[in-house]
Amino acid sequence: MTFLTLTSLRKQYGSVAALDGIDLSVTAGSRTAIVGPSGCGKTTLLRLVAGFDAPDEGGIVFAGQQLADARSQVPAHKRGIGIVAQDGCLFPHLTIRQNIGFGLEAEASVKNARIAQLMDMVGLDPAMLARKPDQLSGGQQQRVALARALARKPRLMLLDEPFSALDTGLRAATRKAVTDVLTAAGITTLLVTHDQGEALAFADQVAVMRAGKFAQVGSPREVYSRPVDVATAAFLGEAIVLPAEVADGRAQSPLGVLPVDDIAYRGKAEIMLRPEQITVAQNGGDGVFATVAEINFCGPISDVRITLGDAFTFRLDIPSRETLSAGDRVTIGVAGAAHLFR
Amino acid sequence: MTSTTETRITIAPRPRLPAASSWTLTIAVVVALLALLPLGFVLWATVVTGWETALQLIFRSRVGDLLVNTVLLVVLTIPICAVLGVSLAWLTERSDLPGARFWSWLCVTPLAVPAFVHSYAWIGLWPGFNGLPAGVAISVVAYFPFLYLPLSAAFRLLDPALEDQAASLGLAPFAVFRRVVLPQLRLALCGGALLVGLHLLAEYGLFAMIRFDTFTTAIIDQFQSTYNGVAAYMLALVLVLCCFVLLGLEASLRGRSRYARLGPGVARRPKIARLGKWKYVALLLPAVTAAFALGVPVLTLSRWLIAGGAGVWRLDEVGLALWQTLAICLIGGLATTAAAVPIAWLSVRRPTRASRFLEGCYYLASSMPGVVVALALVTITVRAMLPLYQSVATIVLAYVVMFLPRALVSLRASIAQVPVEIEQAAASLGRSPGNALLATTIRLAAPGAAAGVALSSLGIMNELTASQMLAPNGTRTLAMAFWALTGEIDYAGAAPYAVLMVAFSLPLTFLLHHQSKKIAGR
Amino acid sequence: MKTAFSLAAGVALAFSVLALSSPASAQVADSLTIYNAQHEGLTKEWAKAFTEETGIVVTIRQGSDLEIANQIVQEGANSPADVFLTENSPAMVLVDGKGLFAPIEKATLDQVLPGFHPANGNWVGIAARSTVFAYDKTKLTEDKLPKSMLDLAKPEWKGRWTASPSGADFQAIVGALLQLKGEEATAAWLKGMKENATPIRGNSTAMKAVNAGQFEGALIYHYYYFGDVAKTGENTKNVGMHYFKNQDPGAFVSISGGGILASSKHKEQAQAFLKWVTGKGGQKVLRDGTSFEYAVGKGEASNKALTPIADLQAPKVEPSTLNNAKVTDMMTAAGLL
Repeated sequence: MTFLTLTSLRKQYGSVAALDGIDLSVTAGSRTAIVGPSGCGKTTLLRLVAGFDAPDEGGIVFAGQQLADARSQVPAHKRGIGIVAQDGCLFPHLTIRQNIGFGLEAEASVKNARIAQLMDMVGLDPAMLARKPDQLSGGQQQRVALARALARKPRLMLLDEPFSALDTGLRAATRKAVTDVLTAAGITTLLVTHDQGEALAFADQVAVMRAGKFAQVGSPREVYSRPVDVATAAFLGEAIVLPAEVADGRAQSPLGVLPVDDIAYRGKAEIMLRPEQITVAQNGGDGVFATVAEINFCGPISDVRITLGDAFTFRLDIPSRETLSAGDRVTIGVAGAAHLFR
Repeated sequence: MTSTTETRITIAPRPRLPAASSWTLTIAVVVALLALLPLGFVLWATVVTGWETALQLIFRSRVGDLLVNTVLLVVLTIPICAVLGVSLAWLTERSDLPGARFWSWLCVTPLAVPAFVHSYAWIGLWPGFNGLPAGVAISVVAYFPFLYLPLSAAFRLLDPALEDQAASLGLAPFAVFRRVVLPQLRLALCGGALLVGLHLLAEYGLFAMIRFDTFTTAIIDQFQSTYNGVAAYMLALVLVLCCFVLLGLEASLRGRSRYARLGPGVARRPKIARLGKWKYVALLLPAVTAAFALGVPVLTLSRWLIAGGAGVWRLDEVGLALWQTLAICLIGGLATTAAAVPIAWLSVRRPTRASRFLEGCYYLASSMPGVVVALALVTITVRAMLPLYQSVATIVLAYVVMFLPRALVSLRASIAQVPVEIEQAAASLGRSPGNALLATTIRLAAPGAAAGVALSSLGIMNELTASQMLAPNGTRTLAMAFWALTGEIDYAGAAPYAVLMVAFSLPLTFLLHHQSKKIAGR
Repeated sequence: MKTAFSLAAGVALAFSVLALSSPASAQVADSLTIYNAQHEGLTKEWAKAFTEETGIVVTIRQGSDLEIANQIVQEGANSPADVFLTENSPAMVLVDGKGLFAPIEKATLDQVLPGFHPANGNWVGIAARSTVFAYDKTKLTEDKLPKSMLDLAKPEWKGRWTASPSGADFQAIVGALLQLKGEEATAAWLKGMKENATPIRGNSTAMKAVNAGQFEGALIYHYYYFGDVAKTGENTKNVGMHYFKNQDPGAFVSISGGGILASSKHKEQAQAFLKWVTGKGGQKVLRDGTSFEYAVGKGEASNKALTPIADLQAPKVEPSTLNNAKVTDMMTAAGLL
């Protein structure tokens, strides 16, 4: 069932089109990630959904209600949509208790019980309730922000890069905690991020955004394995793009003859492999011969540059091994089909 | 310049900054002690007076009347100023009010009109306007910019994301304003209100002209009857206590919390509220305020200037007063800024508990009304330091005590912008610590120092009470001349002096406005 | 940039040197420092004409009677003042009481009317002013005017009149009352005044308020009225002048005094100045100028617009015993100060 529908959304700031025709459907209880480089318009999109800004054109329908069209819009405070911002956006003048209870209207005892329950839900120590936000770590602040947004039992939760300000280690843990809480509560979620790994790991549906438009919308696996163009492919992860001559579902490429995921196409094209499809063997085996032109040891992995004949060079991260060094000859093997850009 | 060709290698000690800071600290302590003289004097005078006389002079009905007047004045004026300041700051900073920038300038311009000229202007139009209502009304138009300035800066600094967040938590716009915006304006509100309150306690001319008695006017009355009598000391004591009450109130209301933006990132540009059809109603507020705060002085002054014709521009007298005023403003401004350099440098480069304490001393000293400072310095110099009596040095000291924080704020901001590494680099290139400070930080902080000179000069130009009591023989500032002439109800003759004060204050006021924008625009 | 900075530093240094050496304002040999509590305009007129005649440069420090009198007492032997001019006698009495005046030359004393200098000759009258009840002609008629100044303390005058109790002028009137009627009567009158009168700062402002209809009358001196009439008359349109006469305390004529400081280093010039002021030149300024104060020189006429001084029926008050310290204490006790 479609829960949130965005139709032809446009938003202009001065002469810059922040949003240039956005269409999106989100089903109830799902998790959608909007991923794109900074400045692509993803935060603007979130602000329109939250009601902080009005679209110039297009409409937003949420749970059967028209939230915004070109003429009118439901103000933010009447939408029942929660939001957790990049830096948590806690009210600096209020304690944690007051922050979480900010949107709650109930008598004190009910309120306190609910606040305690929320603290438990996001995994925070109730002893923190009396503190001010600046006495909490970044991860704790984000959890408080989530608890505060959850307090009003929103039907839709918007997450605006909520993990990007956190340290790498903390980021994964906080993301897991948030995902678990939202899943348990069954709340439809829209995540905005510039971190493709985060988007792929978090969402059921990923929308890749570029210059105010969606380049591609699909499941994480789909957008990762079958991106619509080279830019999308490169944005979502390391991609090895090869020139090829394609016919009958097979491509003639510098890495030999590879199966492709399009049996109908015939002619010259670019094909893409993800690094995990590639094996580098030192002691022969199936595949194409190549030379290690350069190797940089980075701990568990090594960054290698591999040359195929004189014509083609690509970079690859492989698990570090003692025996491999520059100038060695290796055999390159490919698993699975290559993706064809049409 | 021959010495530069000679290369001398000495095993010199590494540049020692602590030596510089200990010297700086010594100077800062001396300045602080000088600044605290008036306060110390009042306490000493109380002790010398003895309990019995003191009690008799403090607990009398006149003091009661004055206290009632003072409390009513403060309690009525500050909230009106606060509401006006918040409304105007919101309209000019956060709404699409037509000509917001223009109105914003107009909201600061009343500061260019000395408070007693405001009074002069009002009674020029309404001769019967006097007492508490007049005191409150004129105080509001004269002093609301002290609240408008920090409030508009605070509005600019507010993180609009917090307001969005509150809306997403179900708060209607007005509730957002009440629960999220207002609490964050608290620092600006408290600071501005304190400034207004201290001015209310210290002002003489404004109230003297409209027949409203406060402690300051009563002290001047006593001064004019007895020079520096015991009764004046005791009124000064009560006045000082009133200042302490205000300072204490402000400190307790302000609280300790910082309201700075949490987390990294730059705040989004504030959202501009659309006034729609209310635009024209909203325009009324700044328009009416400007009409009272600027229209009235302009109207009265032009009226008197026209009535007086060319005859009131007696170049010998007006010119002399202008020259003397400019000279004393320059000397006072330079001295004040120079006195602020050590503590400004310390508080940025060597912030310790001692430097914070010293800074507190300066602020405390400057919150003493001019009449108390002058009374103290007159008595101290005439009794113990006759060579300094009636000298420029003494009146300059009074100005330093009263206006040092103005220079300090400007200096601090600009010193903080100079990376300490530059100073250390100069030291590592063989400059002595003092020399390194002079060659780097002080040079680079020069624009801030210039602003400090300008802002303290603005205060000196419009200062009346202390100037009257301390001016050296033969010195007559614009403010003093204006006051003497209005005392003889020669309003036309006084007009040129008022016009000159306003004309010279205007650019300085604009500087103040510009500076507050810059500070907020970090 | 560097030069600008050193220039600023240089200027600051120069000024601070200047600042430390500034009390020496009156070190020119032929100069005179006057502590002036008289109307600034009048003293400036005197000083200007005197300088033109003698070449002696005059520096004026402006203040009010008792402020300067007390200041001189504090300054003692170190006072930079050479001459002290007042509007009223009590300030003179205060300074004289501390023995800080040098005797005035006999020739000068002989120039003024008898009774217009104290018997000891330590200061001299330079001008005089009369107490008057300036009233609103649109509200009060002859028959409704107070017969005596003392009537103003009666309950029927509550809220109807004004005065400037912080001024030396008014305090001189109270001083006369104290001398004429004694302490008890004066305290009672002040108490009534506290009840009845609205204090205003400045006599001209008080008269202006009467003219504007805010009060029915003001207890002030006469010359404010004539000064305004001579200028634009805008503050006197509705004002009438009521002289109490009959030797009433309210008919008190106050003597403005001039004295020479015993500590003065320019006594010769100071004597010359007072001699000039009380002589033809100075008294002519009173007659023809805009001060409208009474002349006190023998055979010197006052301004034609004024009621002749002899017709004022002033009470006999001994100027040398007017005690202002007592007056301010009593007024402080009454809550007027």
